[in-house]
Amino acid sequence: MLTLLLALAAAAPVDSTPRVRTIAVDERLAADGRLAIGDKVVVSQEPGGLGDTLVIAAFVKRGADPSEVARAEYRVRMHLGDVQRALAYGDRVDRFAVATTSDALTDAAVEQINASAFGFRAYPSKAIAVESSRTFAVIDRFHKAIGMITIVASAIFLLCLMLLRVDARRREVAALRLMGISERSIIGSVVLEAAVVAGVGSVLGVGLGYAASAIVNWYYQGVYRTPLTFSLVTPEIVAFAVSLSVVLGLVTGALAARRLVKLPPLVLLGR
Amino acid sequence: MIIAMAARSLTRHRARTLLALAGIAISSAMLLDMVMMSSGMRVSFKQLLEAQGFQLRLSPRGTLPFDGEATLGGAAELVAALERDPDISTVAPVLGGSVHSPKGEGAVTAFGLGLAPQSQGDYNLLRGRNPRTPNEVVFNRAYLAATGRAIGDTITLAAGYDPQLRTFAGAQPFTIVGEASFTYLAADQSAAALPLATMQAMRGTDGRDRLTLVMLKLRDGRNPDSVGVRIAREQPRVSALSTQSAVKQAEERLGYFRQMALVLGSISLVVGFLLVSTIVTVSVNERLGEIAVLRAIGVGASRIAWQVMLEGLALALAGATLGLGLGLVTAQWLNSILTGFPSLPEHISFFVFEARDAFGALGLLVLTGFMAGAIPAWRAARLPIARTLRTEAVA
Repeated sequence: MLTLLLALAAAAPVDSTPRVRTIAVDERLAADGRLAIGDKVVVSQEPGGLGDTLVIAAFVKRGADPSEVARAEYRVRMHLGDVQRALAYGDRVDRFAVATTSDALTDAAVEQINASAFGFRAYPSKAIAVESSRTFAVIDRFHKAIGMITIVASAIFLLCLMLLRVDARRREVAALRLMGISERSIIGSVVLEAAVVAGVGSVLGVGLGYAASAIVNWYYQGVYRTPLTFSLVTPEIVAFAVSLSVVLGLVTGALAARRLVKLPPLVLLGR
Repeated sequence: MIIAMAARSLTRHRARTLLALAGIAISSAMLLDMVMMSSGMRVSFKQLLEAQGFQLRLSPRGTLPFDGEATLGGAAELVAALERDPDISTVAPVLGGSVHSPKGEGAVTAFGLGLAPQSQGDYNLLRGRNPRTPNEVVFNRAYLAATGRAIGDTITLAAGYDPQLRTFAGAQPFTIVGEASFTYLAADQSAAALPLATMQAMRGTDGRDRLTLVMLKLRDGRNPDSVGVRIAREQPRVSALSTQSAVKQAEERLGYFRQMALVLGSISLVVGFLLVSTIVTVSVNERLGEIAVLRAIGVGASRIAWQVMLEGLALALAGATLGLGLGLVTAQWLNSILTGFPSLPEHISFFVFEARDAFGALGLLVLTGFMAGAIPAWRAARLPIARTLRTEAVA
């Protein structure tokens, strides 16, 4: 027995309902309910109620829609007439989807429909997408906030490490200073070293990021049974992470080296 | 002496120590936030469900409360059976649906709840009183503002609205008798509460003798889960959901945040460990000669080890203390972001400070910092005295 929780009507005219009335069911429902193509299911408004008998004609994959990811209910697709009959909805629909021949015509079509239509409104798909993705805008802001905290923590960690690395070379720096090597050359060599360390670290970090992203996608696609991509490492993100890391490395290296070369060589040698 | 030497060692390189402290403080803050987030949703959601004292919720079989448009038929019979049940002390039936009020050329729509005002658990009255007669209604602030009405005003409400024909179905005049805060709705979501029988009548055949949800208070000592199982068996049309099961289901839906909290919390611990161990290791390396001299004049290996480990402990303790304050501030900030979720109940909080969990996590970080000093401490304690003196102190 199948309880109709939510039906998405396929865009078929009311009077074109085929002789054998068919239904397409969510592949998760098919797996959980051990349903096969050709099986008959009864669709009713409530458990045990009178309903229509439909034949399973297809399985449908869950779409990669973020707004559905946390929703566990199954979905079925039926012919419009079958849904109207099952819900005793009469000759009514909730909405129409209208395709325009080009993007440029969309706004004009929306304006025209809203100017002439009475009792309903037309919205461009982009506006609906913005409204339905408000949840994800919040998650996006949350991720950015976590990212900011992580960047601050990483910067401090990097500065600390650079300070320690440069401090560990006190005697070497003192010797170079005593040999007459300029402060500028010493700072340059330290900054270069810092850049190499930050660059190599970034490359390793990018590799780690790709691996973590793959694990996240594999895990959550399995948990939520969706083809949705949860984590995406884009070239822009890689460029941002690498440049941030290298810049932080250069700045922290320069700060630490500057601090060291300002001390007299004999102090650096502990005399 | 051990404490004084550890303090001197930490203050010798102030910039380094301050940076390490800042790093540990941020790690602690992140750890605290993640602990607050992992338990916060559970605690907050549980508090929300228990706010009105109802332990069981009955909805149409196979559905969660208000998670679809399904309704239960035979409402009167079901409520009567539940009221006769010796395990149940209060029965609060609810029928939900949209209500529309004419305004200008259109309508202002709100979420309407038909309920029994004397037993309801959906709202807290802020001003005025509960509905007593069939044509009295309580609004929340958002709907009062949207309709431009006040307590004492009369308003027409309908259960159906056809925008094409501009006709209202089941329209009736109501007197607004109170202003309420609806427990399970977002603050900006317009809502109205009216008597159950009125709501059923307004919805016509669609609402006749039907319910969306029944909330139950049990008598003292009853187990909600076992009572729920029994009711679901006796009433095959319903699914019974205890508060505990509801919290569990909500946690499953929001598992992403808990897992994220676990991953980021673990990373914070690792970062804290690395920072302390790096600082203490470098500190020991710089003082090899000093440590060798101390050993040579008779200071025991265990005292040296304790001193090094105390450095790690002091760093972790000070960082965790700073992190506690920082974490509470950042938790407020992060919570203000997440509570921006559309339609989130007003009283839900993602970050809840629970002293036991929070101090447990920070204690773990301090312990981690203490242990991070163990390896350099062991190295310092096992230093070959003569050779180190020759290479470090004498040179």
